[in-house]
Amino acid sequence: MILGDLLDAHVRDDQGRRLGYVVDVRLVLDRPASGLLAVPRVHGLLVSPRTSSSFLGYERRDVRAPALLARWLRRRHRGTFLVLWPDVERLGDDEVVLRTGYRRWSPVLDA
Amino acid sequence: MKRLFAVALGILTAIGGFLDIGDLVTNAVVGSRFGLSLAWVVVVGVVGICLFAQMSGRVAAVSGRATFEIIRERLGPRAAGANLAASFAVNLLTLTAEVGGIALALQLASSVEPRLWIPVAAFAVWLVIWRTKFSVMENVTGLVGLTLVVFAVAVFLLGPDWGELAQQALRPAAPASEGPAVYWYYAIALFGAAMTPYEVFFFSSGAREERWTRRDLAQSRANVLVGFPLGGILSVAIAACAAIVFLPRGVEVSSLSQIVLPVALAGGKLALALVIVGIVAATFGAALETALSSGYTLAQYLGWPWGKFRRPARAARFHLTMIVALLVAVAVLMTSVDPIAVTEFSVVFSAVALPLTYLPILVVANDPEYMGDAVNGRVTNALALVYLVVILAASLAAIPLMIATGAGS
Repeated sequence: MILGDLLDAHVRDDQGRRLGYVVDVRLVLDRPASGLLAVPRVHGLLVSPRTSSSFLGYERRDVRAPALLARWLRRRHRGTFLVLWPDVERLGDDEVVLRTGYRRWSPVLDA
Repeated sequence: MKRLFAVALGILTAIGGFLDIGDLVTNAVVGSRFGLSLAWVVVVGVVGICLFAQMSGRVAAVSGRATFEIIRERLGPRAAGANLAASFAVNLLTLTAEVGGIALALQLASSVEPRLWIPVAAFAVWLVIWRTKFSVMENVTGLVGLTLVVFAVAVFLLGPDWGELAQQALRPAAPASEGPAVYWYYAIALFGAAMTPYEVFFFSSGAREERWTRRDLAQSRANVLVGFPLGGILSVAIAACAAIVFLPRGVEVSSLSQIVLPVALAGGKLALALVIVGIVAATFGAALETALSSGYTLAQYLGWPWGKFRRPARAARFHLTMIVALLVAVAVLMTSVDPIAVTEFSVVFSAVALPLTYLPILVVANDPEYMGDAVNGRVTNALALVYLVVILAASLAAIPLMIATGAGS
């Protein structure tokens, strides 16, 4: 599996209810580098309820210009949340199922 | 002194390089049918391309990434792939029009059938791309293209009724013989001719070819902000020539020989020779830029090594893409399709495809992670948002208007 397979996948909870689409995968670099390359770790998935299109980077707190574009994109992606990787129960065919009692985190990324 | 020379050279190249077959054909056709009543669109287009080129040049210089690298990073592989398919197709159409334009100009000079010139023109384009240094290539075609100034001289020599021309330009309205749908269709065509996507692919990739850094930004801004508006004045001069000679006689421009006729009437053989040299240079320069853009876009999307700063063997797939694109252009032209008709379609589809590159560049020009403190200022963003609306409106209206008006006929 590659990371690109996760993007656009449907997200459901354990009851089978549709929660939205994976619009981004958040990675962290907190492990020692192997050779020249840093080794990323999957921190969590960004789930957007209405659209599978990109957030274009406007989930970051300090990116707010041009204002109209930022407002439109945030409106399109309202209700977006972050689920941490341990809250993912399983990955199916074009589908991500979350664990019972998964927690919704704010998608906002501080600089 | 050396710096001053570099700025002057850059500006002159920008003027000569501004015009291509799309500008030549569209302005002449519009001038013959609408007089100067669409000259305001050239102004809107020139301000737009200044804004867009300045933004993409800054993004390329500061972030070190060219247009399609950014589009793929920001939109992800799937949306960027669809974007690439559309942009590549429109660029190929423009390349076809430019190669056809070279052949038509050489036909005017030699009376030899364009289909004999088409393979020669395409071969020459490939040879220059393969062999010539980037800066030499750009400066020579730009400077020789400056001979198109004869269009502006011809306007004075034709001794027009200035009041009449001013009235057309200042009180824009469709002439009684043309409906409003056709008027707006040609407005979009003219906008697409001034703001062509390949100019931006070429400009931002060229910034990487010439290894621009922040220090080069002031000079690039001067080139764009002075050179493009002067190029725009030449566009209006082409339209004015057609408006003076053809509009009163009700003649519609449909060939390259008609586009140069006002210049020949005004200045005789010498002026005609100059204008043909200028058209060959302008179309040849644009054919180089569009051929390179086909390689740039595909290679940047797929992560292949690209650029003329690498030896061809080190960027084999980049060079192969350009060869294939040129062969496709030749194959299309050899069907005897009229290059002028190809040009008219190419400028309209340029307007259709424009938002695909404009939006990602606008987003990244505002992204501090790429740009640091060189993000867009408030004034640039205000103007950029106005243009986002204009570009989206033109893009959405283009195809319905094309169908409704039978492509302007």
